[in-house]
Amino acid sequence: MDAHTLNVLNVLTIVLMALVTYLTRVLGFVSLRGRTLSPRMMTVLQAAPGCVLISVIAPDFVSNRPADLLALAVTLLAASRLPLLPTVILGVLTSGVLRHVMP
Amino acid sequence: MAGFIPFALVLGAQATQKGLSAVEVPLMTGLNFGGGSEFSAVDLWTSPPHVLLIVAVTFLINSRHLLMGAALTPYLQHLTKRKVFAALFLMCDESWALGLADARKRKQAPQLSLPYYFSVAFGLYLTWVVFTALGAMLGPKLGDIEAYGFGIAFPAVFLVLLRGMWPGWRAARPWLVSLLVAALTFLLVPGAWYVAAGALSGLVAAYILSENA
Repeated sequence: MDAHTLNVLNVLTIVLMALVTYLTRVLGFVSLRGRTLSPRMMTVLQAAPGCVLISVIAPDFVSNRPADLLALAVTLLAASRLPLLPTVILGVLTSGVLRHVMP
Repeated sequence: MAGFIPFALVLGAQATQKGLSAVEVPLMTGLNFGGGSEFSAVDLWTSPPHVLLIVAVTFLINSRHLLMGAALTPYLQHLTKRKVFAALFLMCDESWALGLADARKRKQAPQLSLPYYFSVAFGLYLTWVVFTALGAMLGPKLGDIEAYGFGIAFPAVFLVLLRGMWPGWRAARPWLVSLLVAALTFLLVPGAWYVAAGALSGLVAAYILSENA
């Protein structure tokens, strides 16, 4: 694929993403000015980003390749105590080796 | 600021593997400027993309901006609307936290300092756009990196992002609900419904669980 093309649907998606994101940035200021949310709504809003992120990667947790599942377990452990770069490197190395030795 | 760089490179490289061009990547990161939503969008990107799914996920992930904007409001009273709307375009987790902390330190007049905020926020913005673009230019040169175990790079980034937001076991119970429901939906229902099912069940769980909090 040509690296410098613009695809109509890709650009449309990007523009819509940008619009809803900007909306979230200004809406808090515009609508919540001088008001307070109930603690319950705060709890729900605070949980939202994590719920979405973990849902997006949920398929990785039920992979049918044992090598990938094992690599994910190692990566999960790494992510709980290491910064990003070592976590990614360790995960990729583990996954590469495991895929090689357990096809 | 340097912490952004590895995230940006991974995002840019992976985006080109999913069919985004080297021009579209900085277009996305420059217009949208929200890392978590961009990682999710790229993960879900197909050609052609599921426009509504990606836009809905973007909104949900960035819904935390609602709270952040609301929290910043008391420190913006001295600014014109135009300046506020410009400042909010650059609001990300880091610029928000630094700007807010700086505003609170100004004892005699606790308000957001625009020179301070814009220098931090614009530095973060430039770093993000430049390095995602660089990742996008390097991505195609790497070939099919999936086969060498690079597929794990993405979940690795997500797990590190989640660790950064970790609220403790008790408050993280909705995440577990999301994970279980999303995984089951992925196994049982074709298509990308697992994201919506997982996210919504997590939000419902958060609502129900907060009753006895």
